[in-house]
This record gives sequence, C-alpha cells and structure tokens, in this order.
Amino acid sequence: MGLSWINMLSWWQWAILAAVPPAIVVLYFLKLKRRPVEVPSTYLWLRSIEDLHVNSIWQRLRKNLLLFLQLLLVALLIVALTSPGWRGQRLSGDRFIFLVDNSASMTADDVEPSRLDEAKRRAVQLIEAMQSGDAAMVISFADAARIEQDFTGNRRLLTRAVEGIQPTNRSTALGDALKMAAALANPGRSAYDITDTQVAEALPATIYLLSDGKFPDVTGFSLGNLTPVYVPIGEAKPANVGIVAFTIRALESRPEALQAFARLENFGADEVRVEAVLRHDGKLLNATTLELPGGQARGVAFDLGTINAGALALEIRPDDALAVDNTAWVAVNPPRQAEVLLITPGNRPLELGLSTEGAAKLAKLTVQPPSYLKTKAYATAADAGRYDLVIYDRCAPETMPQANTWFLGVVPPGGEWKAEATVDVPKIIDIDLAHPIMQWIALDDVILYEGTPLAPPPGGSVLVDSKMGPMLVVAPRQGFEDMVQGFLLVEDVDDQTYIRTTWPIRPSFPVFLFNLLAYFGGGPEVLAQGSLRPGQPVMLETQDPKKGLSVVAPDGKTSLLEQSRPGKYNFTDTDKLGVYEVRTGGKLQERFTVNLFDPAESDLAPRASFDVGPVEVAGQTGWEDVRRELWRWLVLAGLGVLLVEWYIYGHRVSL
Amino acid sequence: MSTATPLLGPELLARLEKMELVSRKIFRGRMKGERRSRRKGQSVEFADFRNYVPGDDLRFIDWNTYARLDRLFLKMFLEEEDLHFYALVDASESMDFGNPTKLDYAKQLAAALGFVGLVRGDRVKIETLGQPPGRSPVFRGRRGLWPMLDHVGGFAPGETTPLAQGVKNFCLRNSGKGIVVLMSDLMDKAGFEGALRYLVAQEMDVYVVHVLSAEELEPDLQGDLRLVDCEDADVAEVTVSAALMARYKRTLAGFIESARDFCTRRGMAYLLAKNEIPLETLITDYLARRGLVR
Repeated sequence: MGLSWINMLSWWQWAILAAVPPAIVVLYFLKLKRRPVEVPSTYLWLRSIEDLHVNSIWQRLRKNLLLFLQLLLVALLIVALTSPGWRGQRLSGDRFIFLVDNSASMTADDVEPSRLDEAKRRAVQLIEAMQSGDAAMVISFADAARIEQDFTGNRRLLTRAVEGIQPTNRSTALGDALKMAAALANPGRSAYDITDTQVAEALPATIYLLSDGKFPDVTGFSLGNLTPVYVPIGEAKPANVGIVAFTIRALESRPEALQAFARLENFGADEVRVEAVLRHDGKLLNATTLELPGGQARGVAFDLGTINAGALALEIRPDDALAVDNTAWVAVNPPRQAEVLLITPGNRPLELGLSTEGAAKLAKLTVQPPSYLKTKAYATAADAGRYDLVIYDRCAPETMPQANTWFLGVVPPGGEWKAEATVDVPKIIDIDLAHPIMQWIALDDVILYEGTPLAPPPGGSVLVDSKMGPMLVVAPRQGFEDMVQGFLLVEDVDDQTYIRTTWPIRPSFPVFLFNLLAYFGGGPEVLAQGSLRPGQPVMLETQDPKKGLSVVAPDGKTSLLEQSRPGKYNFTDTDKLGVYEVRTGGKLQERFTVNLFDPAESDLAPRASFDVGPVEVAGQTGWEDVRRELWRWLVLAGLGVLLVEWYIYGHRVSL
Repeated sequence: MSTATPLLGPELLARLEKMELVSRKIFRGRMKGERRSRRKGQSVEFADFRNYVPGDDLRFIDWNTYARLDRLFLKMFLEEEDLHFYALVDASESMDFGNPTKLDYAKQLAAALGFVGLVRGDRVKIETLGQPPGRSPVFRGRRGLWPMLDHVGGFAPGETTPLAQGVKNFCLRNSGKGIVVLMSDLMDKAGFEGALRYLVAQEMDVYVVHVLSAEELEPDLQGDLRLVDCEDADVAEVTVSAALMARYKRTLAGFIESARDFCTRRGMAYLLAKNEIPLETLITDYLARRGLVR
C-alpha cells in the first residue's frame, strides 16, 4: 500500500500556490514594521535577551521559528490540496452494482466478525469511494436476489441499504442477481421509433460481487455491458465440520424402535475430533466422539429406543467457522390415527381384525358397502386424499384414489396389474419377512382354499408367494402403495358365506393387520418428516380446517396461515433453521424441521473464479482497502501548527 | 533638558540649612574649616610638641620651653579643616529621561548637597562626567550659593563621555580626599564596575546615587518595538510580551542588586534614587540614613 496523489488543480492554480512560500519568506525578511521607541538605554533590554543568544545556531533557528512554522503550515495545506491518500481500490466507470452475498456460508466467522460483515464493510468502502455523479445499486442475493437499493447517487442511502443486509441460511445462486443487475445495463428492447422516448439506453455498469463464490456457474447468461469484479471473501481454507444429513428411521427388526443417522463432513484440511451430542426436546440423549480426517465424511448412528414425539437436535462441537451447520434437527411426530375406509359387501373376519384394541389405536375404521363407490362423497374423499388406506374387498373403483389401497380378490383398475386363472389350494411357500408388513408373521399353518396368482407392475414386491404364483403383492403408485391379495378371506355364494382360508383364525392375522395399519397409516415409519431447506415452501394440511393452522417458528414467532385450498396451507417463511411446530386450534399437530444440509455452503473455501456463460470471472487476488484520504489529517496538523505558532508568538522573548 | 523651576526651593533651602555633610573619615582640607583634622596645624587646639628641624616655621617655636630647657621645640596644634565635597553628575543623553528627568533630579540633588556643604564652609565642587579639561569652579561659603546654582543649572544633557572615562578624568583632576557623590544611572554598556573602581582607588568617601526613572523601572512598552538607544543609536528589536517583561524585570533587579553588592563590598554607599521620590525625602530620609547628611 503506498501513497498516491490526485491532482485537483490546474497549472495556473499551482503557480499561484507555488508563489505562496517565497512570498512568506520575502515578507518575513521585510518583516513587520516595528514601532521605533527611544529608550534611555538598550542596555537592560539587551541583557534581558542576551542569554537567549548563547546557542547561536539554535537561536538563529529559533529566531526564524515562526517563519518555519508558517512555511510548514503552508506546506501542509499544499500537500492537503494534492489530496494524498493511501492508494486503494479505485472505482472505474460511473455506474456500479454491488452484489452482496448473504447466503448461509457468508455467516462464517473465519474473517472477523463474519464474512457478510466483511463484505458489507468493503461495499461501504466502495460506496464511499464513489465520486459525485456516480450512481450505484445494491442487490443482496442468496438463492434469490433482492434489490436493497435502486440506482441512486445518494451514498447515505446506499450505505444504509448495505448496512441493512441481513444474513440468511439459504443456499447461493447468482443467476437471479445477475438478471436483476442486467436489467439496466442490457435493456431487452431497442428503439426503432424515434418518438419512443421511454426506451432505456444501454448503460454500462460495473458489478462488484462480494461473495465467497459458493454458487454454481451461471449458464445461459451474457454479461453484455456489465463488467464483473469478483471480490472473494473468506480465508482460503477455513476449518469447518458440518452436518450434511440427519434423519431417523425405524429399525428394520423393530419398527417401534428408532435410529438416528447423521453424516458429518470435515471440509477443512486437518483432522478434527468432533463431539456429537444428541438431545431430545432439550434433554441429553446420547453423545459420541469421532475423528474426522480432513476432507472426509463419516456417518454416525444413535439408537433412540422408543420415541413417539418430539424434536431431536444433533449438535457438534467444537464450534468452527460456520455455526449454522453445527446443529441439525429432526422432528418425530406423534403417530396419527390413520383413516381407513373398508368397502366390502360384508367381511366379518376382516372387520373384527380391524376393530381390535391395538388396531383401533392406530386407525379409525369406516365401513361402507360397494355402492358407496358410486356416491359423490366417495369421489370427493378419494380425490382429496381423505383416507390413508382404502380397502376394496371384492370390489374395485373406477379410478385409483389418492390413498394407499388394499385390494382383496380383485386387481386395481388401469391394466397394470394382471391376475391369472384361479387355482385350487395354492401352497404358501415363501413370505417376505423383511418387509415391514410381514414382520413376525408365520403362515405355515395357513391354508388357502383357492387363489389367483398375481402379476404385479414393475417395482412390485411379493409378500406371500405360493407354489402357483404370488398371492400377496405390494407395488408403489405415485407416492402411494397398492397391496393386492390374490386370495379371498370369505366368499358369499348364494347368501351363504364361506371361509376361503384359515388365516383369520390364526394368530398371525391380527399381527398382519396391525403391521398393515402401522405401515400404511402413518405409524413410526413415516414419523420422520423430510427436512426442508431454508426458504423452501411447505404445504401443510389439516383434518379440521375450521380450527385454522398456525406455525411457530424456532425463534418463537407464530404465524397464522391462510388457507390456499380446502385443508391446505402454504408456508414459506422457513428461513430460520430449527424445528417448526404446526398447531391447529392451539394444539400441536406436527413438527417439521429446516436444516442447512448443503455441502456447498458448508465447504467454506471461497472459489477463485467462476464462469458466467462463456466468460470466466476471476477473483481479485488481493483486496486493497478503498483509498483513504489524508487531507483531513493534514488540515488538522496545520491547525496544530497554527496553534503552536500562535503560542510561540505570544510567549517568545526573542527578537 | 533644563526646567524652568529653580533647582532648590526656599522651603528646601530652609531645611537644608540645618544639616551638615558628614564624612566617615577625617580628611585633610586645603583651607581651615570647621572640622577637626588629623593634621597638626594652626589652630587653638594644642596637640603635641616636636623637635625643631631647620626650616620649620619659627612662629610655632615654643619660646617658653626654649627658655626653660634651652632646646627648640615646635608646638603642634590640631588643625581645623574644611571638607572637600565633590558631586559628579552624569549628564549623558540617557539621563534626559523621566519626569522630572533623571538629570534634573541629579542636578537638584547635587545642588542641595552642595548647599549643605556651602552652609558649613565646606569646599564644594560639582562636575559632570564630561567636564572639559581645566579647572572647574570651586564654591565655598554661603555666598557661593548663586554661582553654584548657576553652574549646576548650566549642565545640559548630551555628553558622550563614557562612565569609566568620566570618572577617571575626575579622579585625575581631583586627587585630594573628601566626599564624592556620583549621580548616574550606571547604564553603560561597558559596565559600571570599572568606573567605580577608580573611585575606590581614590580613597574618597564614595556615595553612589543610582538614579533611575519610572520608565526604566516599570517600562510602559508593548508589542513589536524597535528600541533605539538614545546615546549610541543602538537598536534592539523586541517583541514585548509578558514573558519578556518578566525577564526584563529580573534583569533590572539583578542589575540593581549587582550595583548595590559591588558598592557595599568596596565600602561605598549605594542609594537607589527613583525620580519619583521627592528630593526632600531623599535627602532628609534616605541620605540621612546612609549617613551622608546629619
């Protein structure tokens, strides 16, 4: 960093200025006219000042001290006029766009106090370096861009806009911000009609991009009249360990027991010893320590036992440069009573099995005859996804409902499912015990009197296989699952009801139904809702729209939601990380979480360059602080010299 | 600068008449006076006998002793002598300052002291430092008052003889003993010490009356000034500030103190006379205390 000067005067002004010091010297030697006074003798006066002449050189200096001080004062003022300053960032052009990144990675504190504050500081410096007549605009961007201040020459407004930029927890995308910036520099239309005065003239502008570059390259964009200046913010390789994933799921062997999985990644270069602490609703649940080599990721699992509801928070220590990825949350929602619709001409074993005490805890059963399929109420409920599971016993709907289904003795409409010819006494040879529905099921003592081997659509998995072919198959369908059973439990022939299998009188049958309800009806398996990214909107539902829906954010802010569709609510204010509580009528309905889970943001190393279309934008290797003006200090020093001169003038005893 | 007012007023003269000059030493005078001297001579007070040596005045032979002892003795008497009073006035240009001017003040003082001497029959001689070579008038007796006043009144400022030279000339001219009163402001760039040393060597009863004007003691000066010495036109360019004024006062006090010290050490009486002090007070009080007059 060195001194630089700006010439602000023309040659004739310099000439006048240069004449000042000689003029002072001349005037000094001409001296002011002293009043002559005749005294009896100068004897005493000379003796009074004679000891001041002891050191003649000093005395001579001192004699002319006032002259020197005056010359010094003039010199200081002249130097101040040259507008000296520490050489620094120079702004070129007269239109600037300051793009300030306020994404999650900008909250890193590897530069004090944080990257965003550093970016703001530099932006303010750049704004201060603007000349009068320059105009600038301020845009903040994360995954979306926002104009903080439109083009103005008012530096105070610009500074205030920059100061007002708040950090977010969002990911980064530059394209949006560039499009905003380009709107002015590269107007989309041209004027062909001379009377069209509204058309914008293409105004070249310089973009100052204050970011750590954690965004994907921008494709399909041309900079046009924009000149990008990329100012990378952040240390080259700051140490950071982040949680990039955190989820819970039920144990395969014990669906009621939950396991939490987290994936930790060390983005720094050195090995870090990380302590991971798991809390459930603030209570310490578990903790572990693991070594993470530089640049590697490692999973960590916690056995949770039985947890019905609450929020799990995983926190890793020590604190590193980025704080927002050191804590992750997952919500465990209380099991909701599943809505089950049974459409049957009459099936006593099934109705009994679904009405047991255990089953009633999991699901609310509604039984309707097949004629109900024709009603409008059914159509509405099926389309609205009112039921979690619809059981079609020996009947089939015209279209598939927005629900999981269980078909008994029929195949779903649509032609994807195929049923073969009915066979007698298909011997059960295999069951898929790994599938949650079939856990703890033994069908050795079950006899099927007849059955229809099934051909499932692709992706289906066979739960019960017989010598003749698959008898129970489950297959996915657009977010739902359809289970088709090839054999009947009971059959009505001529008003007589016949048993078609011994299964309903075996202990495995209620267990199967319990598994079924837990699996399809929102049991522990679906307790862990997927985590949202910051800023991602979420669609919330309620069974009882009359009570309204409100969301309590992690910071305690409660928002009452407006219904967007019957029973559906859009919630967009998900900027804060943590656990959000959804309440209906003041009662907790469910929780969902917002987590960063973004390795791109957690990896703090700033990018050296990026591409915008075909252009590579390289970061400035060294940041020079904006030119610091010295003239104020020089003028202050001049004032000080003036004071000293006045003091000496008042106190001197010499000639 | 001579004043129109007479040097001595009648009231002052009346008071001075009762005084006399006192010498701390007994001096030999040239003429009989009203003082006893150590010199044996012609008077009524017998002192001693001594053997006659040829050449002695026969008139003092004690014939009665000769008749009795057949030896010649000379009768010796204590001689009563007059006192030599010298007043030496500095009439340089620098004395022409103040109100009354220092010179006027010195002239008045010289005349007053001379008058005291005249009244007592002393031999009074008043000179200036720049006295041209040759004899200066000597005054004696009351009738000498007017000539003396005329003489003193004729002193005019503007003499350029340096202090030391003037004193030296005085000493050369007046080798006798007596009282000498030097009236000067002592402001000689060569220093007053040399001048006073001549007087010390003279074995006279020396009084130094240091005459200073109010302008010198409390200069009423301010600002950027070009001080011109009225004697040698020497120039001192000063900016009179409070600091310089304090410095000047210190120098002045030091100057006065050094003069007083110099005189005291050498048996000379020193008296600082400000021109503001009335002459009568100076003589009847200050000088009386110093022992010059009684």
